[in-house]
Amino acid sequence: MMSVEPWIILSFAALIFVIGLVGLVVRRNILIILMCIELMLNAVNLTFVVLSKSQSNLEGQMAVFFIITVAAAESAVGLGLVIAMFRTLKSVSTEDIQLLKE
Amino acid sequence: MNINRELLTLSYEQLQWLSPIAILLVGVLFVICVASVFNRGSKQITQWTSILSLFVTTLSSYSLLDTATPHLLFNGMLVLDKFSYFFFIVFNLSGAATILMSDRYLDLDEMNHIEFPILILFSVLGMMLLVSSADLISMFISLEIMSLSVYSLVAFRRNDRLSNESGLKYFILGGAASAIFLYGSALIYGATGSVRISSMLTAATVAQPSVLFALGAVLVVVGFLFKIAAVPFHMWMPDVYEGAPAPVTGFMTAALKAAMFATFIRVLIQLGFGKPQWNAFQTSIYQILWWSALVTMLVGNLAALPQNNLKRIFAYSSIAHTGYLLIGLITALKNQAVLGSTILYLVSYVITTIGAFGILSLLAKKGDTGLNVHDLSGLSQRRPWLAAALALFLFSMAGIPPTAGFIAKYSVFYAAVENGEIGLVIFAVLCSAISVYYYLRVIVFMYMRNPAEQATWRRPILTAVVAIAVVALLTIALGFSPSSLIEATGSLSLAQI
Repeated sequence: MMSVEPWIILSFAALIFVIGLVGLVVRRNILIILMCIELMLNAVNLTFVVLSKSQSNLEGQMAVFFIITVAAAESAVGLGLVIAMFRTLKSVSTEDIQLLKE
Repeated sequence: MNINRELLTLSYEQLQWLSPIAILLVGVLFVICVASVFNRGSKQITQWTSILSLFVTTLSSYSLLDTATPHLLFNGMLVLDKFSYFFFIVFNLSGAATILMSDRYLDLDEMNHIEFPILILFSVLGMMLLVSSADLISMFISLEIMSLSVYSLVAFRRNDRLSNESGLKYFILGGAASAIFLYGSALIYGATGSVRISSMLTAATVAQPSVLFALGAVLVVVGFLFKIAAVPFHMWMPDVYEGAPAPVTGFMTAALKAAMFATFIRVLIQLGFGKPQWNAFQTSIYQILWWSALVTMLVGNLAALPQNNLKRIFAYSSIAHTGYLLIGLITALKNQAVLGSTILYLVSYVITTIGAFGILSLLAKKGDTGLNVHDLSGLSQRRPWLAAALALFLFSMAGIPPTAGFIAKYSVFYAAVENGEIGLVIFAVLCSAISVYYYLRVIVFMYMRNPAEQATWRRPILTAVVAIAVVALLTIALGFSPSSLIEATGSLSLAQI
């Protein structure tokens, strides 16, 4: 059976995390920004799973279940906020937001 | 396999230790039931049941305050010690004060929905779990319980564009901070093989901590700096504070900041500070905090100078206070015996801001307007008591005796000088001198300008007056005889677990 070195997946996860972080700063569409947050959380999940497997310790995999649950709750609240904003602003672009000066 | 048994059963004693959290949880569920049974006519009932459950939780935490040794619960996921119980009291009382002061403010915009007290209760519950978590995952979950409620509270004025925007902005940046914190936890887990913060101690105190661990710890620290709005991670704060409803801003400045700081202290102590010899890793964390404290004080105070909106002034002043608190934190890392002065500062700041924002919620006009400095012109002639109380809170924030703020600042700076942070303290005193300008400016407008012809302010309701009076009395009482609180905070210590 072919095996993959842990560091390959770890650096892959790190790359995904950085993509999420950069996207958060660069992109202007709020829905994409929400996706970027999800991307960051999923990169963390991947890191937890790899580290858990390489240490044969289940704590990390347990953590993943909690993170998935919290991420779901977070995106529910986030989408709710987007809808509330869309009602008053009629746009999902951060360029139309006066306050947002990222 | 004794771990499993412990997870499945809770002895009577353990249940007693857990009682504040359990009471508040039952309280929230009860309030939700009450709110849905009585449906729309139930604002008063919901508010009073929420306040009741917050007070019962406070009493139950108070009765546990003499806990001597830390109790570990749920296989080491929660740690309940004197430190946590003390902060339970702080969170619950500030939650109760927020609900009391928000009633009329919410009525004005016809958004006094039953969800408001419920969300406050949930975020207080999250704070309680946060300050007592001994595990990076339970810390993350409670952080999210707290933050998700506060995101919704910030966007509570849902027909208002500013409120929605600031809620979303807070959500995005808060979510990013949580993700950074979580990535740090994952790396720490990789280095230590456990997510318990107790395992961090062994990994941190070796001569040469592994790169993975150091990177993880730095990311966790950055996540915390984000949440306490220390420079350079402070950009979200003024905008969010401006857009949020005034009572919510007060709640965030007071309780949220206290919760994040208390947890930050717990994590940092666990990184192996408190030993006389630091390794390279601890020194670099110390340097990050040192520079952050310096820049935070400078930026907070300078940026507050040109502001006209009161909420923005308080937001920048809150950033400046984060800087002073970081000095306390740094000192506590050098010498754990002076941890009490940092907590004293935190408590007096919580009391002062709760009061100040209580008054702002009373002064706000429909649509959250009327909170510019100019709008306060002549307040002392129309509402002398409110003006006097606001002046008192401003003096306390500026650190002028005889107020709680003075005692707090004095004890933090004194402890810092004692422990060799003289440069930082000189800088902090200069910054406080700058800060007097923007605090006094508000007072000048209140007392030395004539009111505009049509300027009127609503008559404040009794509950809010009582709450503000209690907070104002506390501010003065702590200024005159701080010994009891100094004793109480001085006896709090954080054992490394």
